[in-house]
Amino acid sequence: MITFFALWALGAAVAAPEGGPGAEIEELPTEGDLIPGIPPGPPPPPEQVQQIAYEIGLQLRCPVCQGLSVADSTSNAAVQMQNMIRKLVAAGYDEPQIKEFFVQRYGEWILLAPRSGLLWLVPGLGLGLGLGRAGYAMMKYRREPDPAAIAEGSRAPRDRYEQRLLEQLED
Amino acid sequence: MSSSQTKVKWPILVGGLAVVGALVLVLASGFGIDPKYIPTATVGHEAATFRLKDLQGNVIDFESLRGRPVVLNFWSTWCGPCKMEHPVLQNEPQHYPDVTFLGALYSDEADAARRFLASSRGGRPLALPYPTLVDPDGRLALDYGVSGVPETYFINRDGRIVHKHIAPIDPPTLLACIELARAQGEVAPQAVAACDPERAR
Repeated sequence: MITFFALWALGAAVAAPEGGPGAEIEELPTEGDLIPGIPPGPPPPPEQVQQIAYEIGLQLRCPVCQGLSVADSTSNAAVQMQNMIRKLVAAGYDEPQIKEFFVQRYGEWILLAPRSGLLWLVPGLGLGLGLGRAGYAMMKYRREPDPAAIAEGSRAPRDRYEQRLLEQLED
Repeated sequence: MSSSQTKVKWPILVGGLAVVGALVLVLASGFGIDPKYIPTATVGHEAATFRLKDLQGNVIDFESLRGRPVVLNFWSTWCGPCKMEHPVLQNEPQHYPDVTFLGALYSDEADAARRFLASSRGGRPLALPYPTLVDPDGRLALDYGVSGVPETYFINRDGRIVHKHIAPIDPPTLLACIELARAQGEVAPQAVAACDPERAR
């Protein structure tokens, strides 16, 4: 099974043959919009399309690569995705709409950075709480002397090792 | 020892254990996941409709397939694993007359596919007993969330994707997943597990 999967991934990563897919097949006309929703504004100038598409591609995960974005990969899947991004940008769709198009097909997993800001907050919040608790414990430790030591005039041994050490010192 | 040294702060202990326990549960569930598993958002949703030509130039409209389970296999001539599963896809469809089988060419030339299907290996013809769609701009593959080949989608009578199989398919898995596509209403967990152990887990 592992071998099958490795071969499958290898197959996906191999570059497509030259000449373009389906070169001799007449393409049927596309019905309706490219994706659901209306482009929010006019398309960007043609000279900006490539750059905008590249920046969006940088934020999407290449499905068949190890830690590469769609823009950085030359695999078939990534090239087709990048072509689609370019087409959508040229049609006037904006970044959130294009990301949503891919999320609907591949899930949130396709985004290299999570959309929810809460996920970025949680590690920082955890670290802050931990440091705060440690700082509080240290301050408390310094402020509060051992009540037993005050009461007895001298501190009692903390454990049996300290007890034994004191006994040896007395000997 | 003094009493202050042995005093247990139960709220802190219970709170700490709850946090650690939750983390252990999250990590334990993560260990059970196949790291190579690629999630697909299209499973469980309506399959994308299409109207495409096959290698012979016939137009195939997805709407005309409604009411029958559909097995849609994405493949390429340059894909080695696709060739490994090819005999399965040549032989098995005859056992499922109620199921529509379709191939879809992924990032490949129609001519290359025609040559491949017209050829033979070891005296055995490589023709498939069902049509192969040509997806000129890769839109069909994107709409289904294809991330590589071979991938096989199982669509039920209502036009909903019930499973996506990544990697070459074998006859028992094909049968189990066809049963899933044939099923109407609630599906038994055993049937899901037979087709998709990862999802069942």
